[in-house]
Amino acid sequence: MTTTLQKTKLPPSQHEFSEVIHRLEAGGAMIPDTPENLMQIIGIWKAYAVPMDFYWRDLLYIGERVFLEPFPFFKYFLPQEYLDLHNHYAGDDADLRVWRGEATAHPELLEFMEKGETGKIPKLLHHLWHDRVNMEFAEACMRAMLWHRNMYAPVNQFDPYLDSDEYKANADKAIKAYFKGNPLMLGIHKLFPEMFLEQCRQASYYSNLGLFWEVMAPVFFEVSDLYDEGKITTVPEAMNFLVNGIFAIAGRPIYHHAYIRGECYEIIPKSKGFTWLYEAALPYVEAVFYRTAPFRGTKSYNAQANEVPSEQKDFHYGVLYADKFPVGTAGIPPTLLMQDMLHFLPPYLKEFYAQRCRGEDDVLNQIAVTFQRSMYCVTSAVFQALRTALLYPLDDTNPKHLKANRAFFEAQIDRFCRPEYGMRDAARLRNIQTADYR
Amino acid sequence: MADIVDIAVGAGSFNTLVAAVQAAGLVETLKSPGPFTVFAPNDEAFAKLPPGTIQTLLQNIPQLARILTYHVVAGKLTQADLATVDSVTSVEGSAIRIDCSDGFEVKNATVLAPDIEADNGVIHVIDTVILMG
Repeated sequence: MTTTLQKTKLPPSQHEFSEVIHRLEAGGAMIPDTPENLMQIIGIWKAYAVPMDFYWRDLLYIGERVFLEPFPFFKYFLPQEYLDLHNHYAGDDADLRVWRGEATAHPELLEFMEKGETGKIPKLLHHLWHDRVNMEFAEACMRAMLWHRNMYAPVNQFDPYLDSDEYKANADKAIKAYFKGNPLMLGIHKLFPEMFLEQCRQASYYSNLGLFWEVMAPVFFEVSDLYDEGKITTVPEAMNFLVNGIFAIAGRPIYHHAYIRGECYEIIPKSKGFTWLYEAALPYVEAVFYRTAPFRGTKSYNAQANEVPSEQKDFHYGVLYADKFPVGTAGIPPTLLMQDMLHFLPPYLKEFYAQRCRGEDDVLNQIAVTFQRSMYCVTSAVFQALRTALLYPLDDTNPKHLKANRAFFEAQIDRFCRPEYGMRDAARLRNIQTADYR
Repeated sequence: MADIVDIAVGAGSFNTLVAAVQAAGLVETLKSPGPFTVFAPNDEAFAKLPPGTIQTLLQNIPQLARILTYHVVAGKLTQADLATVDSVTSVEGSAIRIDCSDGFEVKNATVLAPDIEADNGVIHVIDTVILMG
């Protein structure tokens, strides 16, 4: 591992993760810059981006069309319209072209949807045989965002807006339109006005997460293509690609439009000024990378046992803390994602796994650990983006500014060192520093 | 004397800012009696933003307007006024950190030229586009 102390103008950090702090101050990531790490994180981003291409399309489909359907049996059956939907950041007609590939659904995704692991059989049989994309994982991420309220407050205005009278009026209009001609549901709405309103809030979060991932999929596809072309050769380069992507698209609107009988209901209009960075990306990172919900298979929800924190800010069950070894066993939600990524691994990553640990037998665990490494790199990109936006350049000559940067990095790393509820033991920052964590 | 917009147009070093204010439809607001305090990033400040940032904002006017209103504070606050406070609340609604202990810094930006008087307020020129958070 390279130390970059000579580049730091401040005296060395006294933090227990001083090596990581110095690496961040030198423009690096939390994960060490080795060719093996780079290969793993790029390969897994590619494998993640393909199911993500399904997730964002289906999230938007559910938020915009399925909406309040009381029996949404077919919500995972994407209509052609949403497979053809143009990603705003890929293809020739992109708002801002991030990926040079096509704007419609990814060819590998379409092939998997057609053939799956079993062969060419009707969609419904694929679904019943569970030979499909695990959309439940995307919904779990969405609910993590819905349940962890007030994240990144007060700058994040999305969450407070859901409680405003303006939102309630917009939602009420859409609810009444959706159930038009259905006296039973309209009667229920009248009796329990909060019920469908809360469902509507959930639909708004479907839209929020869908719009968030619409950006991440092309970013991951492009970084993978650049790696294949030999244009990305180090971990900091890969991370900086993400940082630039975050900035380029920071200002895209976050909204919720529902389409009911051909008419568009603007439940959260674009004119609210909600942005991708503040209302989707930062709350997403907090909800999914750090918090989520305790795994049913690793923690006891017993109130007397006091294992699960009483305050949501202390939740530490996100990807940065998750124990990846029980992946594939009962009560471990990330298994769903690992199973999804398994289908889209690039050849070099398949080869890498085949030679290690138990080869193909424990490939889901190996994928999970790689994924965790890669998400430490994504989180590093978020740190660097926040530092760029809110603090100072890394080569700033003013020592006061450099100190402010250091305090920011140290505060971020401190989140992995807190003793409460075994948080510091759960954090995998120490593990990912070495190659033999796999 | 001229108003805030006229001064920015006349100065010649705020081409991006003026274009953004026009695109966001904030010209009339900034020409109104106010008064306002405007932290005005010059062209070099906008040039420091990574590529694509401005393009996305220009495609999305309400979002652009939100960023721009973060640079505006109600009332006429000179450097001397700001030296007495730690932070001010922007028109956008979020707080802006002020540090006058060593020079004149607004959030992570340094003020290049303070106290440019206008009919309807005061302009402080800054070297970095400031962002909420």
